[in-house]
Amino acid sequence: MDVWSSLMDGFATALTPMNFLYAVIGVLLGTAVGVLPGLGPAMTVALLLPVTYALEPTSAFIMFAGIYYGGMYGGSTTSILLNTPGESSSVVTAIEGNKMAKAGRAAQALATAAIGSFIAGTIGTALLAVCAPIVVEFAVSLGAPSYFAIMVLALLAVTAVLGSSRLRGFASLGLGLAIGLVGIDSVTGQRRLTFGQPLLADGLDIVVVAVAIFAVGEALWVAAHLRRTPLHVIPVGRPWMGKKDWGRSWKPWLRGTAFGFPFGALPAGGAEIPTFLSYVTEKRLSKHPEEFGKGAIEGVAGPEAANNAAAAGTLTPMLALGLPTNATAAVMLAAFTSYGIQPGPQLFSSQGPLVWALIASLFIGNLLLLLINLPLAPLWAKLLQLPRPYLYAGILFFATLGAYSVNLQAFDLVILLVLGALGFMMRRFGLPVLPLILGVILGPRIEGQLRKTLQLSAGDPVGLFSEPIAVVIYIIVGLILAWPLLFKLVRRNRPAANTVSTAEATAAHSGSSAPAGNPVHADNRVLADGTAASDSSAHQDKKETP
Amino acid sequence: MTIVVGYVPTPEGEAALTQAIAEARKNNTKLLVINSSKGDALVDNRYAQEPEIQSIEDRLAIQGIDHVIKQPVRGHDAAAEVLDAAEENNADLIVIGLRRRTPVGKLIMGSVSQRILLEADCPVLAVKAG
Amino acid sequence: MSSLTTGLKGRAELGVALLLGAAGVLVFLDANGLVTPYSQSDPVGPKTVPYIVAGLLVVCAVLLAINVIRGGQGEAEGGEDIDLTHPADWKTILPLAGAFILNILLIDWAGWVISGTVLFWGSVLALGSRRYVRDGLISVALSLLTFYGFYLGLGIALPAGLLEGIL
Repeated sequence: MDVWSSLMDGFATALTPMNFLYAVIGVLLGTAVGVLPGLGPAMTVALLLPVTYALEPTSAFIMFAGIYYGGMYGGSTTSILLNTPGESSSVVTAIEGNKMAKAGRAAQALATAAIGSFIAGTIGTALLAVCAPIVVEFAVSLGAPSYFAIMVLALLAVTAVLGSSRLRGFASLGLGLAIGLVGIDSVTGQRRLTFGQPLLADGLDIVVVAVAIFAVGEALWVAAHLRRTPLHVIPVGRPWMGKKDWGRSWKPWLRGTAFGFPFGALPAGGAEIPTFLSYVTEKRLSKHPEEFGKGAIEGVAGPEAANNAAAAGTLTPMLALGLPTNATAAVMLAAFTSYGIQPGPQLFSSQGPLVWALIASLFIGNLLLLLINLPLAPLWAKLLQLPRPYLYAGILFFATLGAYSVNLQAFDLVILLVLGALGFMMRRFGLPVLPLILGVILGPRIEGQLRKTLQLSAGDPVGLFSEPIAVVIYIIVGLILAWPLLFKLVRRNRPAANTVSTAEATAAHSGSSAPAGNPVHADNRVLADGTAASDSSAHQDKKETP
Repeated sequence: MTIVVGYVPTPEGEAALTQAIAEARKNNTKLLVINSSKGDALVDNRYAQEPEIQSIEDRLAIQGIDHVIKQPVRGHDAAAEVLDAAEENNADLIVIGLRRRTPVGKLIMGSVSQRILLEADCPVLAVKAG
Repeated sequence: MSSLTTGLKGRAELGVALLLGAAGVLVFLDANGLVTPYSQSDPVGPKTVPYIVAGLLVVCAVLLAINVIRGGQGEAEGGEDIDLTHPADWKTILPLAGAFILNILLIDWAGWVISGTVLFWGSVLALGSRRYVRDGLISVALSLLTFYGFYLGLGIALPAGLLEGIL
């Protein structure tokens, strides 16, 4: 199968007027939700899932792809103009970006973010197109034992590496796996956790679970803690860059891309580590190190590129292996399942045209974002003046509508409320939501692979280790799990990982516009001039959850 | 003896503030600066931020005017906040800035200035941006 | 933060441990109640994974309880529109949940147009808007629009309820 010709076919599909229209809708919607507070791409895709059942899957995924990339663009706009990074991956962008904006260089900051995102997104998508088939080729040769091991690795890595408390991550994973168990066991036909309730026999609809956790839980959580002091948007005209800015930006763009893609492609790589690495690197390599902390353009260009390249990287395991590593990818995977499409290595062969149209639409979406968003930036900033009552009431309204329309039964709304309350509680007590969603989605598939594996070995647990790849992966799993123990042995005096310091890393010197309660937590690492940025342990799934 | 001025960080608001300062100096009265927000959106550009408030503070201090700056965020609109403050402090004068609005804009949005003009119990001085 | 409030917060988090433990026990009991003869084609059976999940939940519950008692604390999630400096505002949450429940009770009987209006209007009110008439008009418009949008655009017939025949 030739990558190039498949991709061209993908472009042909994605550029039909209807699909192109959905791409435009997707990027506009994505940018809007990225800009709007309290909304994120994961929530938006979840809310749209029921509505898109009437669409062709291809059109729906083209729109989702637009939302995914668009959300990144929108997120960087607010972190530059408001200094309120909605997701931890744009925390680093906010450091220099907001300083630039305050110094009257908002237009240049937005321009370098947008162009850098475009370049990183395009290179990242190209790498995705090249790497994914290679990964698939490797993956189809794997048997059930290895596949089981890979899924275990993905689950544990996301749970153990991301988030600030491993314990709370595992608690969340356990809840997700338990939710995934509900319903009729596909092998024996036994009813599990249905409590005699026939409506539960089909299991909990993943759409309802995703909408409850991401939309209802988030809306209730934000409603409980509404920010009371309004902020100012730094006024901005049309983003543009001078010759000097280009000269200072292009290398950080490329380096950021190089950091972002591989980290994104790894399970549990996330986007914070590469954005942070990119920031530190640019600061060291810069010819103007004294500008860092006062608005250095390199500090926006690099991390923003890393962020978007990581987003493209994330799609590699999602499409090639069926392994989501962030919230939006998880919901998109749930979308595959609800369209009756089996995710996994077979995806490229069974749904080739859809996958390539999706990849092609990522290229198109990226270009659209650049063309649409450069002139529209001032307009997007206006969106922030939308009164909150309408915003959050709207989320609840559409969440209800979406969850109800799946099966047209009020019982789903009860589940929506119960799980929404669970989502609220998790946010309150610092349980990350990503492991839960992954548990719900991957749990049943993991169980399936486990049973397949042991069926082959007639119940002998040795069967789990029957493939060399599986053994290697279990060693990695062991290392990930043992890592904090080893770490503790090495540095005895370091405080335990899960006694969290809830230090607010608000940039102290940026005055009242640096709001308390930025999603910047945990081990403050001092960057330039006392600006503290979060390290990798901040909530990775924040805006994603959104 | 108090003068209440409704302030917003716009040319109209600045004009109102300048006028109010002049009035306060002339009559040697206390000046109450009100800059409110309904607080129902994440962003409200009519709500002054720290640096702006600080500069007003400095400006008033230099001129030696007895003053209070208040920034209520209680879900009320600007007219209600200004009227409330005027009533509470038995204001002798309210100073507001007027901005040009199209008839349609007035119809849709209503007018803060109009409400203050109609409902205030004391004289209202309305100024336009220079 | 005073020691009293930290103490209370800590105790509240024990509830999370309790919930996890209860979920674990529930999963265990449910799996235990399944009757399955040993089958050659499915040596794992439907019980194994629930047992593992139950174990994970119970272990997490115990560890979390220990962690909380020792003074550990989960950090509440921040966000762009979130101010964690003030405590949860139950005066907003409870009416919001009320509007949601009212919608559940009304939707099959009164139909989406009515229950959706109640939901949106109630939520907007709970969230602090005081423009009753405008909010009401928006609510009705939104409900009608989604009703017809779903029917005509997606072929999904939301319940018409009391307004059956009118819509």
